[in-house]
Amino acid sequence: MKQFTIRRILIERGAESDSLAKVIPKRLPDIPKELVDSHDLALPEGTEEMDKESLRIIHHKGEFLKPCPGTKRYICCGYQILNIGINCPMDCSYCFLQSYINQPSLRVYTNLPEKLDEIGEYIDSFPGRIFRIGTGEFTDSLALNYLTGWTDYLLPVFSHRKNCILELKTKTSSVQSLLKSIHRERIVVAWSLNSPRVVTGEERKTASLRERILAAHDCQKAGFVLAFHFDPLFYYPRWDEDLEEPVRLLEKYIDPESIIWISLGSFRYMPALKWAIKRRFPKTKIFDGEFVTGLDRKLRYFKPIRIEMYSKLAERLKKWHEDLGIYLCMESGDVWKQSFGWSPKTSINLSRYLDNRVRKLMVG
Amino acid sequence: MEKNSLESTPVKIALWEIDLDPGRFCMSFDFRLEQLKASIEEFGVLNPPYLMEDSESHYTVVAGYRRLLAAKELGWSDIVCQVLPHGYPPFKAFLLNLYDNLLQRKMNAIEKAMVLQRLTRFVEHEQIITQFMPMLDIPANRQTLKLFLGLEGLEEPIRHSISAERLSLRVAGPMMSLDTKDRLKINELFMAFKWSFNQQWEAIQWIMEIASREGRSIEEVINEREVTEILHSNRMSNPQKLKTIVKVLKTRRFPSLMKAESEFIKGVSALPLPERVKIIPPPSFEGINYRLEIVFTKGKELKEKLADLYSLSGLERVTDFWKTSNGNVH
Repeated sequence: MKQFTIRRILIERGAESDSLAKVIPKRLPDIPKELVDSHDLALPEGTEEMDKESLRIIHHKGEFLKPCPGTKRYICCGYQILNIGINCPMDCSYCFLQSYINQPSLRVYTNLPEKLDEIGEYIDSFPGRIFRIGTGEFTDSLALNYLTGWTDYLLPVFSHRKNCILELKTKTSSVQSLLKSIHRERIVVAWSLNSPRVVTGEERKTASLRERILAAHDCQKAGFVLAFHFDPLFYYPRWDEDLEEPVRLLEKYIDPESIIWISLGSFRYMPALKWAIKRRFPKTKIFDGEFVTGLDRKLRYFKPIRIEMYSKLAERLKKWHEDLGIYLCMESGDVWKQSFGWSPKTSINLSRYLDNRVRKLMVG
Repeated sequence: MEKNSLESTPVKIALWEIDLDPGRFCMSFDFRLEQLKASIEEFGVLNPPYLMEDSESHYTVVAGYRRLLAAKELGWSDIVCQVLPHGYPPFKAFLLNLYDNLLQRKMNAIEKAMVLQRLTRFVEHEQIITQFMPMLDIPANRQTLKLFLGLEGLEEPIRHSISAERLSLRVAGPMMSLDTKDRLKINELFMAFKWSFNQQWEAIQWIMEIASREGRSIEEVINEREVTEILHSNRMSNPQKLKTIVKVLKTRRFPSLMKAESEFIKGVSALPLPERVKIIPPPSFEGINYRLEIVFTKGKELKEKLADLYSLSGLERVTDFWKTSNGNVH
C-alpha cells in the first residue's frame, strides 16, 4: 500500500476529543504533532502553497452529506457528496482544488464517525429515493485510508442500506483494506482513467494505469461492483490512440458485466484555475487546446472537439461491451445527442438513468 | 513604532560628493525633470534633500533624488541638504522618503514595486501586505505582492511600458515566466500600437499557448511572416494593423472555432435577409439558441420583414451553417 509523506500533524482545537483525532496520530508515531487554532494557517518556510505534506485534523462544523453542486445550465447526475476531507496527497496538475480551496494542508474531518448515524437516518427517511453517494469529490477516497480507516467505518453504514450506494473514487491502487472488509453490497469502487501520457505527465504521485486496473481486477474478483471515469479528457494530437491503452487494459482484466457506469468528461475549468495551475506547473500543456467560455463561465473545449472525443471513446468502449452505463459529466443535451445519438435531456432524467443502473447492478 | 523626532543638520554639499545612482532609498522611476528644473530656477530648492553620510565621506540620497538630479542638470556645483545623524536607522530613513513621496505625488506601478522591494529588507511580507500595500493603494494580498516584487526584475523597456500605463500589470505576471528575448518581443508588439489592456491579456495568452502547442519560442511566433507583414505594412493604418494582428493570432489559437465562425458568416451572408435583419449565433456556438434581430421603424415595416423572412428559403438550415457536411467543423 502506498504511503504518502506526512511531515507534521496539526490538530485543530475542538477536534482533540473526536475518535479519529486519537487514532490518526497513533498511526504516525514519529511525526511531530501540534495543537493549533483553526485560523492559524501559517506554513513553514519553503512549504509549497497546497501544503500536501501536513495533515490537519479538523472537527467539521458543516454538513457532511450534500448534493454535488454540479454546474448550472448543463446536465448533471444528481450525485451526493459525503465530505470526508479536502485536498489530496497526490498532485494532478489539472486539479480544481488548486483554485477552489483557500486553506492549505490535507484536511481530514475527524467527527465523521460520530455523524454517521445521523446521515444514515437521513437516508432512511427517503426510502423511495436512491442516494448515489461518493467521497471522491474533494479528496481521493482511498489515498489516506491507511491513516483514517475511512473504509472501516463507512462500508458497514452504507452496505446494508437498500436505497443508497457508496462510490469510492480513487487514483491509487490501495485496495487492501477493501479486500479485507466483509462488506461488498452497495459499494462501488471507481477509478479515474486517462491516457498513459496524462497519467504520467499530469497525475503526479498516482498509481500507474496498470496498477489501477489490476487493483480494480482484484476488487471485482472480491465481489465489488466497479465504475470508471474518463475525466478529464484532454485533446492533443493522437489522443485517441493514447486512450487505446486504458481500454485495452480494461478489456484484458475487467469483466464488463459488473461495471455500474463509466463517465466521460472533458477538461473544464474556472478562469482562476488556469493561473493557479500555471503558477504550480508552468510547463504544463493542458491549456493548449481550443477552450471557449461555457454557459456556466467555465472554459471548455470547443463543442465539436468535445463531441469528437466523447463519440470516439464511447464507440470504442461499446466495442468492448454494449451495456456499460456510459454517461457524460456536466454536458449539454445537444452534446449528448451528437456524441451518443440520444440525450437524457434533463438532470432528472440522467439521475433516473443512473438510479436504474443501481437497481440493475445492485440486486436486493 | 517609536516617535520619529528628526534631528538633521543643514549643510552645503558639493554635488560630486553625492552618489546620484538610484540607491537603496530611491523610489523614483520614469520621471521628467523639466517642470522641477523650471521651479528650481525660479525659486530655488524649497525643501532641501535628505542625505546620509556613508563611511567614505560620500553621501547617499535618502529623499530628494529628483531635486538633486535637477540641480545637477542646471549646472549647480553644490546644494544645501539636510544630513541625517550618524547611526540614523535606515528603516526610518526609508520611511521618511516614503512619506515624503506619498504626500507629494502619485507613484507609478514601478515606483510602488521599488518601495515594496526595498521594504523586504526591513520587514516581513505579512507586514508589507497589511500595512504598506493599502498605503500604496495596491490590493493587499500575497499574489499581488509577488507580482510587484517581480517587476523590478523586468527589463527597462518593459518597466517603462508599465510605468507609462501602456502595458497592463496583469500581463506583466505571465511575462515574468518568459525569457528575456520573448518578453521584450511581446513588449515591442504591444508598444507598436495602442492595445487595450483586455486585448493585451487575450493576446499574451494566445501567443504563449500557440508557442506551447507548436513547440516554438514566443519570439518565433511573433516573427512569423504573417505578423511581420502586417506590422510593416504601408497600406494599413495602426488601428487596422492591430485589428488584423488580433484576428491572425485568434485564428491560429482557435482554428476550429474561427473556421466555424467564418462558415456561419458565409452561410448567413448567402441568405437574402431583409435589410436591418441579423441572425446572431450563441457565443462560441456553446449554447443552442440563436437570436434574430430586426430593426424597424413602424409596425408595417416589421410585418413586411416578417413576411419576407417567412418565405425565405434556406432559413431552416441556419443553425447548421457552421458544421461541415459530416456534422463537424473539426
